[in-house]
Formats: sequence, structure tokens, C-alpha cells
Amino acid sequence: MTAHTPTSQSVENTEKRVFFGTDLYNKITETLYEEAMLLDELRLEEWAEFLATDLIYKAPLRLSVQRAEQYKSIVHSMNHFDEDYSSLMGRIARLTQTQSAWAEDPPSRTRHFVSNILVWETDKPNEFAVKSNGLLTRNRFEEDRMQVISYVRNDILREVDDKLKLAKREIVFDMAVLGTQNLSIFL
Amino acid sequence: MLESTPKSQKPQTKALPDGTTIDDLIDLDMREVQLRVMADKDIYDLEMEKIFSKTWILLGHESEIPNEADFMIRDMGTDQVIVTRGKGDEVNVLLNVCPHRGMRVCTAEAGNKRTHKCIYHGWAFKTNGDFIGSPVAKEEMHGNLRPKSELGLKKAKVELYGGLIFANFDTDGQTFEDYLGDMKWYYDMLFCRTDRGLEALGPPQRFIIDANWKTASEQAAADGYHTITLHQWLGDFAGFNEGDIEASMMGVEVTSKTGHAMRCQPVANKFKMLAAGFADGSLSIEEKLELLPPPGVTKEMLSQLKTHLDDDQLALLVDQPPQVGGMFPNILVAFIYAPQPDGTILGLTSLHTYTPRGPDKLEFTNWIFAEKDAPEELKNKIRKVTTGLLGTSGMIEQDDSDTWPHMTRNAKGPMGREFTLKYQAINSLPRPKDWAGPAEAYDGFTKDDTQWNWWLRWYELMTAE
Ligand code: FES
Ligand SMILES: [Fe+2]
Repeated sequence: MTAHTPTSQSVENTEKRVFFGTDLYNKITETLYEEAMLLDELRLEEWAEFLATDLIYKAPLRLSVQRAEQYKSIVHSMNHFDEDYSSLMGRIARLTQTQSAWAEDPPSRTRHFVSNILVWETDKPNEFAVKSNGLLTRNRFEEDRMQVISYVRNDILREVDDKLKLAKREIVFDMAVLGTQNLSIFL
Repeated sequence: MLESTPKSQKPQTKALPDGTTIDDLIDLDMREVQLRVMADKDIYDLEMEKIFSKTWILLGHESEIPNEADFMIRDMGTDQVIVTRGKGDEVNVLLNVCPHRGMRVCTAEAGNKRTHKCIYHGWAFKTNGDFIGSPVAKEEMHGNLRPKSELGLKKAKVELYGGLIFANFDTDGQTFEDYLGDMKWYYDMLFCRTDRGLEALGPPQRFIIDANWKTASEQAAADGYHTITLHQWLGDFAGFNEGDIEASMMGVEVTSKTGHAMRCQPVANKFKMLAAGFADGSLSIEEKLELLPPPGVTKEMLSQLKTHLDDDQLALLVDQPPQVGGMFPNILVAFIYAPQPDGTILGLTSLHTYTPRGPDKLEFTNWIFAEKDAPEELKNKIRKVTTGLLGTSGMIEQDDSDTWPHMTRNAKGPMGREFTLKYQAINSLPRPKDWAGPAEAYDGFTKDDTQWNWWLRWYELMTAE
């Protein structure tokens, strides 16, 4: 059995690939950069505008299993995030509208690094499968070390009225035991 | 209040390397504990020996390893163990240390193996830990100084309770019955109330907090008080307890010498629209169950409750079920009502363990449960809503996990470490009238007694011979 990487996309599937340098690729890349900027600048309400109302946003668990069983290394039955649009809006509202969201008050200083972006067309003409690597650095209070969290994101971006929106996101972490005290931030 | 042996009658206990004794760290009369315990390496080492090697430790649920030869890796204090399924109901807990040269026998976190073969020199073991043999049989590489029966993996005592897997390496220590003690009556209402019992909806979330294991664990011993401030948004914003979190501080807290604790909160306080019928005796138990089933139970399971619980348990379960609390030393129990945006009330069922990973580090392990017989749709809902509130990204617990590192850090300063944690809010009300359950029962506003009892158990074990 081949070891699954967390994607259903095939590198050979060049027919459906949206290649680096094309207008669409550039647009998607810039959108992801903008998203990272909004998150790092705590502009969560603006980030919310990037989310489609039928969004599914999940972060499955990881298990450290043997190579022959790699298909079990991403656990979909349990998640670190198990969100949809309205529950994410609830999270944003808690962080921005209440005076007691202590996990982010004072807020974490984060930097979302996005790279290795690959884009595919899907069966729907206005939806694109986008894979990107993510690296989050996070620092709180006067900690003298950075928390570093790496992951891959499998997104579906949907183009509506010339704007791209996030319709689906799966965040697959590289740590089986997450080295952070919580996920009060978004990825 | 539980009685504690006056200090003068206690033999002076083993001193830490700097001469401090456990008695110096805890003031039994004043109900104070030195903050130093939240970061000190010597105290931590003693805890690993006196607590985590002596008491029962929760490792997971049997539904995580449903098939013969399934296994998973878990931690008992700082010792790593392999939890294996044998035939039928047999569950084994084995130290993940190869008797040959100390290599980890299992390097994967979970899987299915009939034979566990150490990848270093190839010694092989059965799912129950028995030694099978070593490669190159004719050379007898395992020697002949010890019989094969002495070359197996070290086994812990195992107890299944409502499918929960507990283990203990102290083979002639406390029995599991004594461990649960008089608190069993309450836990039965959560873990042993239906025909098929609970199932873990998947493997647990696992993440690391830079905090001492006790910062989280003493809170689990029913610190209701912090909810008002740390989780203020629950009332203000999420509409918990109909916006009145302070009212949810009322109830009965049960606890005992075991160090376990649960908060039993009256439904009538939580949901005002139900208050009349629940408090004035005009509704029967059946009618109450119909109106608001206890967290995690569906209406279809109500008849099962009657076969598993006695009348007193059933009455308590409908009127003021045990909802949050813990089990000594490091377990949090949460069976809570979560009001949903559509006006319905969903029951969440979750357990955590706070596994020590060093004096200033703990692993937060979060299992989400549902009754096995719950419909798939309900399970998915429970999983989603619980993930939203508890554990890694949980909106309630993200505030807790950001608090504990500060306490741990403060426990390191030369001034801070001498400061004390105070448990001086003492319940002075009489035991509630007609309280049918066993153990200590503290009425009224949540106070510090349950947590203090947790510390008394800590003290008892830390000073045991
Ligand atoms: S250490 Fe395991 S076989 Fe040698
Ligand atoms: Fe809390």
C-alpha cells in the first residue's frame, strides 16, 4: 500500500492543474496571502468576509502509526477543529465582542507563513482545490520562545462575483501531540 | 469538613533534598498549600513515585481497541504503557520497556498486532506481555539465567469500569473498589447507566500545556467558582444557565477521602422555564426525564436507566445530575448541558486526563463520549459541539489552558514559591436534608471543600510510608 499524503490530488493530473504564474494561480496565491495578513493583524471580522456561508472547517487528529497503516494517520472521527460557518462566527464574536476571551487577551502574536501552493480545477467550474503548506509562529506574553506549528491545508476556494471565498478547509497538522496550549487562533 | 490527622500526630515525613518536608508544604489547619508544589522538580519526582506508581490511572476506553490484538500507547505518569486487547473482554496494560535493554517495544501509537516484536534485537511478546522468544533460538540469546516467565513485559493491574480502562502498577496496593470508594454511586450514574454503555467517539485529542499537572487537576476537583470570572462569556454571551452563571454555582458538591468530587447542579436553577415543575414536585420522574434527559441520554434510553440505577440515583439524575468534577489524581469529568442556538439543549460527555510530562509540563488528553446506542446524527452533534467548547480549540477550556502556565511560572520565583494556594472558603451548611447519596455532600454555593479534599488525598499519598 502506498503511503497516503493528505490529499486526493494527483501530481500527474496536469490536465486539471492550474499552473504557477497563471492569472488564476496568482489570484489564489494573493488571496491566501491576504488571508494570512488579516489573521496576523487580528482583523477577524474582515477574515469572516472571506468565509463562504456553507463553509466546513476541520482539523483532523493525527496518529503516529506504521508506514503500512499510513491511511490511519489522519483521523477523521475526531478533530481539533470541527466547525462550520456559524460556529466559526461564534468563535469570532467571542474573541471580538466579549471582554473575557482570556485565551487571546492579551492576543497571541502570530505569523502565518503560506507556501507550496498547488491548485487544481474541480468538477465545478468556479471551485478550485488548493493545497498549501502552513507554518504558524505564535508568541504570547513575554515568552522567550516561539511556538511553531506546521500543517498542510486542503482548501476548496470558490469564485463568486470575481471574489474568492473559502468553502472548505482541512488543516492537517504534523504533530500527533500538538505542542500548543490551545487553538484559540485560526489557521 | 473531612477530618485530617492533626500535624503533631503525623510522623515527620521524608524530606526533600533541601530539607523541606511535605508537612512544610501544606498547612492542614489553615488549608493552604505552598505554591512551590506547582513547579518543583523534587516534589514532582516524589509524586511520580508516591502517586502515579501507587494509584489507579485512567488510560482510555475499551471502545478505542475494539478488536482482538488492537493496541494503543498511553502514559501512566511518566511511564509509557501499551494497552492491548486480548480475547473477548481481556485488556492488558504493559510497560512499554523491553526487558532486554530498555527499548520501546511499541513505537507506533496504535495498531493491531498479535506479536509485539522489539525492533532492536527482536525479542517478541504476546498481547498479554508474555515473552515468546528471541531471534536465533539455538544461541539462546536471552540467556538461561532467568526463566522465560521472567522475561515478559511488566504488567499492571487492570480494571474496566463502564468500559473505562484503569490501571495500577502497585499490584498489592489499593483495590479499584476502594479507589472509587463511596463516590462510585455517583459515577455509576454517568458511566454505568445504560445497557451498552458509552463509547469513545474516536481517539483523544492530545496537546501540551506548559503547566504543572496539579494546576489543572486541582481545578478538576470541582472548582466551580472560577466559572464566574474566567468563563464569564458563558453567561454573558453563550447563554449558559440562561445568562446567570452565578445561579449555577448553587447545588450540592459531593466528595470524599478518595479525593474525587462532583458538582450536582439542580436543573431548576439552570433552566428557569423548567423550574416550577422540577422543584415543586408536580412532575413525576418520567415526566422530568422526558422534558430534559440528563446529558448524553436520549429519550429512548430512559427505560434502561431504571434497570441500571436505583430509585435514589434516578431521582438525583433527573433533578440535579452530577455534571462536572473529577477523579483523583488527574481526571476531569464533564457531563454538561449545552444550550444550542436553536433553543434545544444538548448534553456533552467528555473526560480529560492531565498527564504529567515534567514539573512544568502536562499533556491534556480529551476523550469525547456518547452512549453507544445514540443515533449517529446525535453522536456527530455531540462530537462537534464538544470540540467547540472543550479540549484543544474548546472555547471554554482555551481560557483554562492559558491560565495554568501562569500559575506554574509564578511557582518558580523566590517570593512566589513561598506564597500559598488558599482553600479557605469553607462550607458551613448542614448536609442537605434527605440527601440519599453517600459521601460528603456540601450544600449551597460552590466552596473550596472538594478541592481541599483533593489536597488531603494528595497529602495522604505523599506522606505514606
Ligand atoms: S532492547 Fe528489545 S530486544 Fe533488545
Ligand atoms: Fe474552566
